[in-house]
Amino acid sequence: MTEKVIKINTLNDKPEHFEQLFNIWSQVNNDAENVRFDFSQCSFLRPNAVAFLGGLARLIESRRGSVVFDWDTINNSWVRATIRQNGFAGMFGDSSPSWEGHSIPYREDRSLDLNGISDYLTFNWIGKGRIHVSDRLRDDIVGWMWEIYNNAFEHSASEIGVFSCGQHLWRKKKLILSVVDFGQGIPTNVKNFLRQYAAEDNVARLKSKYCLEWAFESGHSTSIGHVARGIGLDLLKEFIHLNQGKLEVYSNDGYAIIDENGDRYEDREISFAGTIVHITLRCNEKLYQLKDEADSP
Amino acid sequence: MKLSIKDRIGPRCIIKEDGQKIFDEIHGPLKKGETVTLNFDGVNQFASPFFNFAIGQLLKDINETDLRRFLQIESLNETGKLVIERVIENAAKYHGDKDYRKIVDDILEQQAKESD
Repeated sequence: MTEKVIKINTLNDKPEHFEQLFNIWSQVNNDAENVRFDFSQCSFLRPNAVAFLGGLARLIESRRGSVVFDWDTINNSWVRATIRQNGFAGMFGDSSPSWEGHSIPYREDRSLDLNGISDYLTFNWIGKGRIHVSDRLRDDIVGWMWEIYNNAFEHSASEIGVFSCGQHLWRKKKLILSVVDFGQGIPTNVKNFLRQYAAEDNVARLKSKYCLEWAFESGHSTSIGHVARGIGLDLLKEFIHLNQGKLEVYSNDGYAIIDENGDRYEDREISFAGTIVHITLRCNEKLYQLKDEADSP
Repeated sequence: MKLSIKDRIGPRCIIKEDGQKIFDEIHGPLKKGETVTLNFDGVNQFASPFFNFAIGQLLKDINETDLRRFLQIESLNETGKLVIERVIENAAKYHGDKDYRKIVDDILEQQAKESD
């Protein structure tokens, strides 16, 4: 059977790099694909790319395909060291020993694992040593980040789970977390929900950016039942504003960005089936002054 | 009635399943007008799914005034209190019978205006 060779370029976290990831997805989005990823042109990989490629490999495998990450093609020592250190290479066949450094591990979750995910966020993401925050603040941040995983599992209907990776940019004093699923996507989920109540023609005309905007508003949820939901993303947004951080969501062809310039929603040219939540926090504890800590003597 | 949340579910108030456990214990007594105290000593991580199920869904048959009167919260930090307040506000205005057809029409109208 023919093997498709996909060259992985240098992948940062600018919109054009996400588009490259979605292009890769579109090249292998079929049943029984046999794919070899070649890293000879790659000199940098952000955690969004690591989480996406890991999830994509599992997606291909779930469709009776096969994936080879060709580790011998890596020329760049930084890339090699990073993906060994964060455990990604070892999870996909690299036999070199990994080591426990400052990298934030690559992680796969098939189900919403309370203690596994909370421990990852608490001890391996924010608590990995280079960020100095109080235990109380660390725990608060874990609670806000949990909302991302909860939404991914509750709404995406991803059959292969959720994939995450993070990174400390210690010179820039920033902390990144990327959470990826290959489920239906937020705009599709919102449309499927609204179809129960409104005419199909009208729902089909809804643009993704408006679906994302609707999903981000407080009290809006696609969950059915007698329990009010829909405040998790709103709480997360507030925290991002307080932190002067950045929250970006790529979902289907919709894009949301929440940062110090406000909340913006866009439709993009390229689409993929799933959602990437990419968060960048500033590691400055003064930004998070907690009211009751500030009040204490 | 007084419940130690840490004893019942541990130090993380995060998932809806744990929230449902607390709801199941306190719903009956609160409905009968008994005072219930939830003690959060030793709990350090919070997220909205827990509170939606533990407290938000109480508002389906207990009004907000009675809930605030009979449900006492102890040893909860400011972040936990913020989440609870949002959950109560959200649940109090929640209606399962929202006019979603109108919501779709409103979004389409907004789309049309922007494309003009």
